[in-house]
Amino acid sequence: MVAIPEIILNDLHKNFGGCLAADGLSLKVSKGEYICVLGPTGSGKTTCLRMICGLTKPDKGRVLFDGVDITDAPISERKATMLSQAYSLFPPKTVYENVMFSPAIKEWDEHEARQLVKSMIMMVHMENKAESYPAELSGGQQQRTALARALASSSDILLLDEPLRALDARLRLELRQELKSLVKEMGLTAIHVTHDQDEAIEMADRIAVIRKGKIVQIGTPMEVFRNPVTPFVANFVGRSNVFVGKVRSVCDEFSEIELEKGAIIKARKTDIPVGTDVAVAIKIGSTRIPAIPQPTAEKPEPEVPQGFFKGIVERILYEGATITIEVEAEGIGLVSSKLPNRKYDDYKNGYEVMVTWRPERASVFEIPPEGIEEELRLD
Amino acid sequence: MSLFKWINNVSNNERPRKAWFSFVCLIFIVLIIIPSIFVVLKMFTEWDIVSGVLGDPEKTSLIWGALWNSFSIAAIVTVVDIVIGIPMAWILVRKQFRGKKYLDTLMDMPLVFPTGALGFSVVLFWGAPNGIDIPGLGMVLSPYIMLILLHIIFTYPYMVRSLSAILEQIEPNYETAAMTLSASRFTAVRTITLPLFRAGLVTGTILCFARSLSETGGTYAALLLMNANGIFFTGPTFIKHMKEIQDPTAMGSMILISVLMIVFALILLVVVKLLIMRFKIPIKKVWPHLGRKLSRGAVPKLKDAFSIAFLAIIVLLPTFYIFTYLTQPMADIDFVALMSAIGTSFAVAGVAVVFGIVFGIPIALYIARKRDTKLGKILDNLVNVPLIIPTTALGFSLGLFWSTIYAGGSLNLLMVVLGHMAFTFPLVVRNISGAVEEVDQSYEEVAMTLGAKPFQTFTKVLMPIIQSSVIAGAILAFTRSLGETGATLAIDRSANTVPVYIINLLDAGKHSEAAFCSIILIAICFVFMLVLRLVVSRGGRHT
Repeated sequence: MVAIPEIILNDLHKNFGGCLAADGLSLKVSKGEYICVLGPTGSGKTTCLRMICGLTKPDKGRVLFDGVDITDAPISERKATMLSQAYSLFPPKTVYENVMFSPAIKEWDEHEARQLVKSMIMMVHMENKAESYPAELSGGQQQRTALARALASSSDILLLDEPLRALDARLRLELRQELKSLVKEMGLTAIHVTHDQDEAIEMADRIAVIRKGKIVQIGTPMEVFRNPVTPFVANFVGRSNVFVGKVRSVCDEFSEIELEKGAIIKARKTDIPVGTDVAVAIKIGSTRIPAIPQPTAEKPEPEVPQGFFKGIVERILYEGATITIEVEAEGIGLVSSKLPNRKYDDYKNGYEVMVTWRPERASVFEIPPEGIEEELRLD
Repeated sequence: MSLFKWINNVSNNERPRKAWFSFVCLIFIVLIIIPSIFVVLKMFTEWDIVSGVLGDPEKTSLIWGALWNSFSIAAIVTVVDIVIGIPMAWILVRKQFRGKKYLDTLMDMPLVFPTGALGFSVVLFWGAPNGIDIPGLGMVLSPYIMLILLHIIFTYPYMVRSLSAILEQIEPNYETAAMTLSASRFTAVRTITLPLFRAGLVTGTILCFARSLSETGGTYAALLLMNANGIFFTGPTFIKHMKEIQDPTAMGSMILISVLMIVFALILLVVVKLLIMRFKIPIKKVWPHLGRKLSRGAVPKLKDAFSIAFLAIIVLLPTFYIFTYLTQPMADIDFVALMSAIGTSFAVAGVAVVFGIVFGIPIALYIARKRDTKLGKILDNLVNVPLIIPTTALGFSLGLFWSTIYAGGSLNLLMVVLGHMAFTFPLVVRNISGAVEEVDQSYEEVAMTLGAKPFQTFTKVLMPIIQSSVIAGAILAFTRSLGETGATLAIDRSANTVPVYIINLLDAGKHSEAAFCSIILIAICFVFMLVLRLVVSRGGRHT
């Protein structure tokens, strides 16, 4: 028997005065799963969450929880709690009263409610601040209080709308795992919306990449990162070098693409017929830039080996743990490469180097009808 | 408690919610909007008597004269309020000094005074009215000038309040940024902050204009004491005068002047909105030297000193001058009559305010949350109608409407209550919708996803956040109702509210008794407001 997915979004449409926030949005989420909906600003991420909890009514399409159609059910009955990026802790209530909100309005047994609220506050380590008001809390404390409030509501589904966005960069990184493990511990189903690909890759069981109101690809972080299905996904989930050309030949191990700028490069094998216009995407972490072989006594004029291309270092960016080097390669164009920072001293602007990658790391896509520029746009 | 639960459960469904809102809109239209402008319809059905008045040059010249007085006084007063109000708002919002709290409270004092007493007090201060031995400045002023001085007093707080409300929302960051870009303070304020001010200017201008146009009690009292009554008219005192004389053509005159006041006031509402929003403040040009001169040395200090002096001499001293009566022997007060008048006034104001809160909140919520929808825009504009219509015309119209429907005549007090409901309603709605707009909708949304039903969301989440504004709106409406003379008189001349009682005392020449009654009423109002403020500040400690 196949387990019924807890949440099914079936072909949702939502039009905000000509702006399509959902355009045939479909998604299945299983019980206990932690899904990240990843997309650029304005892609319809928040609308997707709002349609799940009922704050926005879809124009068309259904929302099902446990197989039951709840598209028209009142918000309060859905047991899907929103955790917004501003946390929205009720200002006139203390931390304790905020967490007590759900138990109080649902009129649960007072003793049990108090126990529950206390344990939730302990769980997020806020017991010292239980009598404080939201205005007296730091960003991280507010975030944890909002989480405790959501956890105490007996909801089955947690909807997180950029929950880490308002935090300091450092804290944001620390809270990623903490947040996820709390959600897992409570056995909740979580849908986490974000535009931060690192956050999604690190936290999600599965990532759903959303664009223009549609889910473009859904899969584990590794699947989405390694095998993107469109050039957009390739570039949005981990930056990619994108080259345009034509398929020249395909064999069992790889395919050959003739680029517009002249070079013939190798990429993974593809079903796209020979002669079609294609885009090739290679993650910037998958390109290597070895030094050019030096002339020796036996080989006074060493050749550039197969699959390698000559280029000149144009720019070196120091990023802390990593560096990114941009190379103008012959017949290809500008190629970026992400390297560990210990390589920093090996390169200087203007150095002659070679560029290469493993063919199976280069994905090949048919060029979409709107053109490659439009496809790669981030807004 | 079970009713609460029932409402709560019902609120979870969309249909009852819509039904309740439709009901509220219906009440709003039928009880407030239609009666307020009914007189316009009446003019067409009773065209014969109106055209009779139009054919009488003596009457029309009286009417035009009264209208001219009303509108020109209102215009002058509003301009003065703007010029003096801006620096004052600045002092109240941007400056920190000891005693600011008291200045803040003093600002609102003229609102607590029954307008009749205020008119009395002002004439006492500036002029030397006949038959009164309290020494004033003894100036001989024309009624026109005296009324300007009087109207400034009770419009000034409205202007300062509207301006400071907006100013509080404008972050000083903009000015600071402009100043770090080497603009002088004067230039920074003029080119950066003032243009952001327009919304406040619109509200302030409309409130002041409407308040001045509506004023009856104080104006009448002042004219009475200057012996100008029956010679010099404003729109509202003209209606009052017509109500009193036994003249077959009076009805026609009253209908005509009411309609004219309503129409002009509504045109004005539109014109003021357009003018202030479209008017180009010259912000492109800068005069660095002038700006620097105006920002340094004595100029800013002089400006502040002038604002404070204006407040003290033009507003506060004349307002409180009536207290000089305390040096006189206590008058013979008919306490039973006074207390019954106070009882009536409080009852009328109480009912009006409760109505305003119950039916005003849904409308305020809708205006604040759905401003972009068609209905939201319509409601937003409709709510302003009873605010801008001079209350005397409104009361007259309302009286006509209800007496057309019910001719019994024994329900006069109920009609007075309906009248007070109409002109206090916008005050409550404006205050609440302003507050709701400030509250991020995500609080309510999150509450609903936490399992709160819409009614719980309102009572448990939104209400605690906006309660101080609700109470502020209620106080404003309550004091406004307590002080209202014109509408009450236009509906029912025999209604026994405090302002009418005081006017009647003045009419009968019992100056001393009127003064002492006023002082007692002021004391009661003051204590009442103080208690409310205490309650509010305790409840709203953390907001």
